[in-house]
Amino acid sequence: MNKLERILTIGAKNSVLAKLRSWGIPPANVAVLVVLILAPLVIRDQYILHLMVVSLLFGAQTIVFDFTTGFINIVNFGFAAFVGLGGYTSALLVTGLGLSPWLGMLGGVITAGMLGFLTGVLTLRLRGIYAAVMTWFLGLALMALTAVEVDLTRGHWGLNVPLLASAGSKPTYYYVLLAMMVVIYFVLRVVIHSNIGLAFRAIGQDIEAAQSSGVNPTKYRVLNFTLACAFAGLLGGFYAHFVGVLTPDVMSTDKTVEVLALSYIGGRGTLWGGVLASFIFIPLFEYLKSLMELRLVIYGLLLIAVMLAFPDGLVGLLRRTVALIRKTRQERKVSQ
Amino acid sequence: MDLTGLLALAVTGLVRGGLYALMALGLALVFGVMNIAHFAHGEIYAIGAYAAYFAYAVFGFSPILAIVAAGITSFVAGMLIEKGLFYPLRKGSKGDWLMNSFLVTVGLSFVLKNGAQAIWGAQFRGISQYWEDSIRILPGVSLAYDRAIAFVISIAAIVIFWLILRRTEFGRAMRAVSQNETGALLVGIDLDRIQSITFALSSMLAGLAGAAMLSILPAYPSMGMTPNNKSWFVVMLVGLGNVGGSIVGGFMVGILETVTYYFLGGGWQDVVSLSVLILILLFKPSGLFGTTEVKGRLER
Repeated sequence: MNKLERILTIGAKNSVLAKLRSWGIPPANVAVLVVLILAPLVIRDQYILHLMVVSLLFGAQTIVFDFTTGFINIVNFGFAAFVGLGGYTSALLVTGLGLSPWLGMLGGVITAGMLGFLTGVLTLRLRGIYAAVMTWFLGLALMALTAVEVDLTRGHWGLNVPLLASAGSKPTYYYVLLAMMVVIYFVLRVVIHSNIGLAFRAIGQDIEAAQSSGVNPTKYRVLNFTLACAFAGLLGGFYAHFVGVLTPDVMSTDKTVEVLALSYIGGRGTLWGGVLASFIFIPLFEYLKSLMELRLVIYGLLLIAVMLAFPDGLVGLLRRTVALIRKTRQERKVSQ
Repeated sequence: MDLTGLLALAVTGLVRGGLYALMALGLALVFGVMNIAHFAHGEIYAIGAYAAYFAYAVFGFSPILAIVAAGITSFVAGMLIEKGLFYPLRKGSKGDWLMNSFLVTVGLSFVLKNGAQAIWGAQFRGISQYWEDSIRILPGVSLAYDRAIAFVISIAAIVIFWLILRRTEFGRAMRAVSQNETGALLVGIDLDRIQSITFALSSMLAGLAGAAMLSILPAYPSMGMTPNNKSWFVVMLVGLGNVGGSIVGGFMVGILETVTYYFLGGGWQDVVSLSVLILILLFKPSGLFGTTEVKGRLER
């Protein structure tokens, strides 16, 4: 990574990159972004592009999920419900009021953000596991409500949603979602690297100590939930107009656990670890059709393995490997 | 509503409540003694149901024997899970045990549920009934033997378990661990043994519930989801880790749900009971009965 940084800085000395880094955005991120932007120009296969959209969708969700779990240390166990709320809001605004999907998605951001704000307020007095269970129950209640309000949501029959673009134009979906993910990533990253992020970590590690050194847990927890849920709503809106049909199942706990597993397998508290895991596992399972059925079993096993043996996930493995290579190279240099 | 209807409602609510109490008891036990927020409790229930199905319908055991076999199977499964997952996690655990063990159970739930799907497929494996006939309580109010016996099993299991907890040396050790782990270690209690057996016992309670209800709820891979949600609902209502409260809470929730179901129709009972719970937790975050016995373990 160091070498890559050096090459990039030689290319554009003292310019944009230095500025980016001062915002807490390393050049390696920019390199990955360039690759992601150029990919559809090289890949013409619709099927592979579709897979990449799905991977991006999961990756983007893990970023948002990790923003809460990895930093303030509260598992948002109702995550999928916020995604689903964004999706349903957008779909109903478009089908009911005839708004454009873009405005619909904005509506999804607003409703999910508002519910996120409320959740933050509701869970204020609760500690770690209580707060997680509370978000879980909120998610279950929302799902049950969606299933019962048949007149509005068509319940389990499924709600048909107008698509964002014609189903064949995968690059359009890809670029729209990539733009969303980039915005989400950079906004959250800038927040994490500011004083606010410091406060998040402080209340995540020890709420009493944070409180006694003047950090107001209330404010930061509500802020975190509002921001994360608003983005979850945005992704839900995209999902609705990408897949074209919504059922209450999009809000189920299993969907949350999938995002949770990918995020932990990638590496908790890194934001981008889950994106890496999504781009590895989703194409892999799709490629090995026989494994598709065992996909969720493997997620479960990997989650257990991460908790038991690799607490920092893929990113941790990557970092350790890089450190090892660097060390051996240095040793070789010394021996020469 | 007349008296007969009210009585029928009460009987249904009690039977349902007995099942919830049995499930919630195991959940509260695991949290109280081991500090594990057990998310795979419903999957253990499913293990019991599958075991009873195979014992009764495939191997032709008698009903009682099938239920006993299911209890033993889930006891052994619980023991294996504890030795295979939580023991190593406890030994290697650095950080936040409560969160780490919770996520392990989340992974476990995914593995068991989807593993069952991969091995046995999604079809329902149920039996029409263990016993024929029903008891007539009053003219117009009858109770199928299966439900009556399921109720008797849950009450018996709860009572036996309560006696073990209150009257035996082992139960005393268990309560000691739940109150103060270090202190229990100091007076020579074998922590590893207590924790393994606690988890196995909790699994057995869930497995018995699954087996007893087999004729009403057939076995299928994701069958554990609803009982898991409900038992979590109960333990959150009374306060996590409150073993005695979870029994009372089980009956309260069973009756509440039956009544909402009767007046509002299917589907709404989840919305109503979850909203009630969220409101209660808002004003009393530690649950209805607070947490006296396990308070120290929550101040993390």
